[in-house]
Amino acid sequence: MDIFNGLLLGFSTATTLSNFAYCFAGVLLGTAVGVLPGLGPIATISMLLPFTFGLPVDTALIMLAGIFYGSQYGGSTTAILMNLPGEASSVVTTLDGHQMAKQGKAGRALAAAAIGSFFAGTVGTLFIVIAAPLLASLALTFGPAEYFSLIMLGLITSMVLTSGSLLTAFGMALFGIVLGMIGTDINTGAARYTFGSPYLLDGLDFVVVATGIFGLGDVLMNLENERSRVVGVAPVSSLFPTAEDWRRMSAPILRGTGIGVLLGVLPGAGVLLASFSAYALEKKISKHPEQFGKGAIEGVAAPEAANNAAAQTCFIPMLTLGLPGTATMALMIGALVVQGVQPGPEILSQQPALFWGLVVSMWLGNLMLLFLNLPLVGMWAKLISVPYHFLFPTICVFMAIGVYSINNSVFDVYMMALFGVLGYFFKRMGAEPAPLILAMILGPMAEEYLRRTLLISHGDASVFFTSPLSLGTLVVAALLLLSIVSPRFRKVREEGLQEAD
Amino acid sequence: MKLSQDVLLGLFFVVFGVVSVSVAMSYPFGTSGRMGPGYFPVIISSLLVLTGLLVLFRSQFVQPEMLPAIRWKPLFLIPGAVVIFGLAVETLGLPLAVLLLTILTAATSIKFQIGWKAVAGSLAFAALCSVVFIELLGLPIPIVGSWLRVLGF
Repeated sequence: MDIFNGLLLGFSTATTLSNFAYCFAGVLLGTAVGVLPGLGPIATISMLLPFTFGLPVDTALIMLAGIFYGSQYGGSTTAILMNLPGEASSVVTTLDGHQMAKQGKAGRALAAAAIGSFFAGTVGTLFIVIAAPLLASLALTFGPAEYFSLIMLGLITSMVLTSGSLLTAFGMALFGIVLGMIGTDINTGAARYTFGSPYLLDGLDFVVVATGIFGLGDVLMNLENERSRVVGVAPVSSLFPTAEDWRRMSAPILRGTGIGVLLGVLPGAGVLLASFSAYALEKKISKHPEQFGKGAIEGVAAPEAANNAAAQTCFIPMLTLGLPGTATMALMIGALVVQGVQPGPEILSQQPALFWGLVVSMWLGNLMLLFLNLPLVGMWAKLISVPYHFLFPTICVFMAIGVYSINNSVFDVYMMALFGVLGYFFKRMGAEPAPLILAMILGPMAEEYLRRTLLISHGDASVFFTSPLSLGTLVVAALLLLSIVSPRFRKVREEGLQEAD
Repeated sequence: MKLSQDVLLGLFFVVFGVVSVSVAMSYPFGTSGRMGPGYFPVIISSLLVLTGLLVLFRSQFVQPEMLPAIRWKPLFLIPGAVVIFGLAVETLGLPLAVLLLTILTAATSIKFQIGWKAVAGSLAFAALCSVVFIELLGLPIPIVGSWLRVLGF
């Protein structure tokens, strides 16, 4: 199917009344939960997951995607108005965005973020339209060795891009792989790490672990310093960027979009790297680098554009290869599997309506965000100022119901409690849980592809280096690992990532 | 050895890794051309033990970061309340389970005061959840749990 027919199919899928309505509901709910301080996209998606259970697959996916970028957008609003980043990638937005808010320019900062995001979202969606079919047809030629190398690249990138030490991140990834191996081994049917429990035969549910570690773990962490939580929301005045603002932010938005589109596709890098690089680039080429950190509108527009462009294009590896690039995408795969869809290169040919409907609805969702959020910003500001002692019991209830309703299993609820405590432990020990989450889903895939590769080559591991694509991927991964030794990169990494905590 | 972040994390990795290796040893290992179910787990868990040891080793050279005081109350009460929700959701039904979870988690806040407002708020929230999740979304969760039905509700 060519692109034009695909888009037509997409429009007819995405604009059915129910799909349109659920896209709207997803964007609205996602923003509403995403603006709540301390709730990142992962916690938001897992809390809102039950709302998608009764829906047909395409509608559910459209709504989930809406929740995802709604929550991301909501996170930026909180970052600007409250100086509280909901997730690592909006840390950059707080730097200049909150400064602008302090100077009474909150509305213009929000508008810059919204316009940048919308433009980047449009370009990102177009990029998916062009690149995803190409990659999917290319992916059909990938053998197990290529997949294995890509998975390694994803895991290594996510470790390098985590705050804290590389060794800790490596340990977290290994721990995640072990968690992923719990359950029945698909090749031999042997039960591994189940300790005789029938509940563990199907493995730990990925959504349960993510909800526990990110959702409940964050609640426990926030209650730790409940007394010192300061709630101050900057007032929002005029929402219209001045002519001067337009002039200053248009080029940064273009550059941010370019960076975001490209980096979003890189497995493991995703949104975080995109927004940091875009900010760094603007600061570097600006004629007034001293204004950065003091309320430069370029410092809001560029990373927000990059962040949203990457949020679109990180769907590409997930949809075409079935490989999640970020922890959030891993959760999306978990949610798709609940719906009975296995993402991979075949999804485009076998379920074209699903794929094209999603792509078109992404663009519609971005359009909705633009028109929904700027006028409603007063309402979001009210939501942000709801005190935490009302919020967290509500969050706990939604998470508990959500986790229970995945399999109607009480066992999952207990597991969430357990992983909540573990998530708290890891955060207290300075260990970022993102590599764990990604490894839990990528680990078993890596095992499977490694097995297949070595079965074909009769145990000869040199195939990973004789296939050009696999070799290239491994070289990139090795370069990334080496780059961390370079003092200059180390400095940038520490500066960029330490504030993400 | 002083307790620091690295010491605790290293110990966690080592202990978990050792348990994981010893469990995985009981699965057939196979050869690299024909891997058994034990092959990958043994390698990964051994690497985990090694990483844990390196983290412990590193902790001897880095200035230990002080572990801040822990508020034990939420740490026990919140996971505990989630477990109670799990126990109650099928036996007592969703509204009562939500009520228990709301009140028990809210009680961990330093701002919590028991009063008619807290009770009324939780009751309203429990009712709202039941309507949204069971009536509107149609999730198969009982409103009246199995224990209460035995009693004739």
